[in-house]
Amino acid sequence: MLKIEHLTKTYGDKKAVDDLSLHILPGEIFGFIGHNGAGKSTTIKSAVGILQFDAGEITINGTSLRADPLRCKRDLAYIPDNPDLYEFMSGIKYLNFIADVFCVPSDVRQERIRRYAEIFELSGDLAQPISAYSHGMKQKLAVIAAWLHDPKMIVMDEPFVGLDPKASHLLKEMMREHCDRGGAIFFSTHVLEVAEKLCDKVAIIRHGQLVRAGTMEEVKGDESLEAVFLELEAD
Amino acid sequence: MLWVLLKKQIAEVFRGYFYDSKKNRMRSKGAIAAYLVFFVLLMVGVLGGMFAGLSLQLCGSLVALGMDWLYFLLMCGIAILLGAFGSVFNSYSGLYLAKDNDLLLSLPIPVRTILGARLLNVYLLGAMYTATALIPMLVVYWVVGGVTAAKVVCGLALFVIVTVFVLLLSCVLGWAVAKISLRLKNKSFITVLVSLAFIGIYYFFYFKANDFIRDLILNADVYGEQIKGTAYGLYRFGQIGAGDWSAAGIFLAAMAAACLLVWRVLERSFLKIATASGHVEKKRYVEKTVRQKTPFRALLAKEFGRFASSSGYMLNCGLGILFLPAAGVLLLLKGPELMDVLNMVFANRPGAVPVLLCAMLCTMSSMNDMAAPAVSLEGKSLWIPQSLPVEPKTVLRAKTAVHLILTLLPMAFAAVCAALVLPASTEIRLLVCLTPLVYAAFSAVFGMFVGLRMPVLHWTNEMAPIKQSGAVAIALFGGWGLSLLPLGLYFLAGYRLGPAAFLGLWALVYALAGVLLQRWLDTRGAAEFAAL
Repeated sequence: MLKIEHLTKTYGDKKAVDDLSLHILPGEIFGFIGHNGAGKSTTIKSAVGILQFDAGEITINGTSLRADPLRCKRDLAYIPDNPDLYEFMSGIKYLNFIADVFCVPSDVRQERIRRYAEIFELSGDLAQPISAYSHGMKQKLAVIAAWLHDPKMIVMDEPFVGLDPKASHLLKEMMREHCDRGGAIFFSTHVLEVAEKLCDKVAIIRHGQLVRAGTMEEVKGDESLEAVFLELEAD
Repeated sequence: MLWVLLKKQIAEVFRGYFYDSKKNRMRSKGAIAAYLVFFVLLMVGVLGGMFAGLSLQLCGSLVALGMDWLYFLLMCGIAILLGAFGSVFNSYSGLYLAKDNDLLLSLPIPVRTILGARLLNVYLLGAMYTATALIPMLVVYWVVGGVTAAKVVCGLALFVIVTVFVLLLSCVLGWAVAKISLRLKNKSFITVLVSLAFIGIYYFFYFKANDFIRDLILNADVYGEQIKGTAYGLYRFGQIGAGDWSAAGIFLAAMAAACLLVWRVLERSFLKIATASGHVEKKRYVEKTVRQKTPFRALLAKEFGRFASSSGYMLNCGLGILFLPAAGVLLLLKGPELMDVLNMVFANRPGAVPVLLCAMLCTMSSMNDMAAPAVSLEGKSLWIPQSLPVEPKTVLRAKTAVHLILTLLPMAFAAVCAALVLPASTEIRLLVCLTPLVYAAFSAVFGMFVGLRMPVLHWTNEMAPIKQSGAVAIALFGGWGLSLLPLGLYFLAGYRLGPAAFLGLWALVYALAGVLLQRWLDTRGAAEFAAL
């Protein structure tokens, strides 16, 4: 579904991501962990077409992101680490805007907005301006917007930050359902317990380089993910 | 601490001059110097030049009549209007809407220090605008009336009094706007309407200024005596500039007392207003089926929504929407008399009137600059258009389209009115319709080009990209220059071609320039936007 091969991205003299390769298959929840500044967000932003990278290749469903970014983006949804949405819009206007750009038919979007807004208990607030939303409400809106066009691949940067426990639980359920239907999810997190319980595969990045990747069992063996991560960080 | 906060705010205002957001690094010393020189030229050359002209017109006559005080009273009145009008929304948004208010309030910084830094920032920006009128006023007076120690010291005291008064006025009005805004629905539109009323009054007096100045100079002694009799305070105020020590002392003391009072009011209310979310009645969401839009129409609707959501954006970048139809109506009403006068004035340059009309309409359309800050206004939300499945050129075209729609429609009306009242051949009338429309289209693309080349994406107050960015300054003043340039060329040599050929050439040049800029935006510009 998402194939990152030999990705390299440099800021000035600093290599933020150095020859990184990952392959996320349909049906997989793929966790991406690393310390602050390890290169997670740079990798994620490169994978969704926001950042232009220096070397390597990224393909989504076999299509090169460089060659046909629009086709790739149609199959993608992205939730950034900070939900900076259009504050001048109301929640419903934002969702309709996203639905329009992804060409989601009126009846389909209406049904999806109703369903997801009810799940996240946001229905009563959709007419409010986003500027009046709390951080958690904005995050919920960003999640609904991401699911709105039924993307094949969902890429999220720290998606649980700001969500209350119930919403976090619901999001985890939605992630699993999405992958059970053949979709794939690639997300970064600092909450290792969540990664350990939720992910099928995990990759650990340090100073821009991939230090370990594979199924959860392959990466952590009999230890906890936290122990493995701290061990690798100490090396 | 005060200095640190002030430095942060000033750095934010002038960030675009020192920092290249696209390359994510400081500009070179040469580029910084060039930007600063351009800024100074703009302030000193355009605004300062305008007020120097006015000072020269007033000073000689009034000083000769021994009414130096009336000269200072008038010029200071203009400076106060200019400074306060420019600073009201600056003080409102700078004091109460700054996005880093929460961050600063969470730090171990006394609230009064934060407030002090914000006020100093408002003072400096207000003083910068006011100075463009006050400095020519003082210099012209010293040249015309002679220099003495009293005149210089009191003149400087007058500068302090006026700039502080502008600050106080801006603060009080900004505070009132903030208080009212907490209770208003559709606040951006109401703010725009109120501001437009002020602008209407301002321009009413502006257009009457020549008659007023002539009348004033002819009857200066009568008016002077009336002011002295009924508003003695104003007379004493004007006396400061003429070197009256006691008047300077009284007004300095009064200003200090007023400062203290305003400070106390703001200090008490700042925290409450800055942290208030406002009592907005919660709208109930009623589900309804919406018609699906194409991605371009969705982007276009989003851009219109952005424009309509901000009174600052509408007022600073959309005045042409009203000025152009107003000019059209004015031409229909007063056109024939105006044409007679213009034909008489430019009798030695045959065919100058159609060119002049076109230049006037183009200058007015340059007051629409909504495309220039459109990229910068994406700010932290830039990830949205960059991650959506739309081509960068489509995003840029939607932004340009808002400018085009909001300018071409009023321009078409104004141009048709101009063509109707112009006593000329059909060919020239058609060109008077066409040329301003071509220019309006060019200015939209030009604004987008400048905005993309000089983006300001990191801001805590949206007035930074809307009002204080280099892109908007270049789009506005550069637009004026580009619309007046053909007029100058016509007077220099273009009249030899005749108005029809000249206007046709003008339209062709701007059409070509517009097409070239649009091609750049669709290709390299789109790539630059994607890489921001």
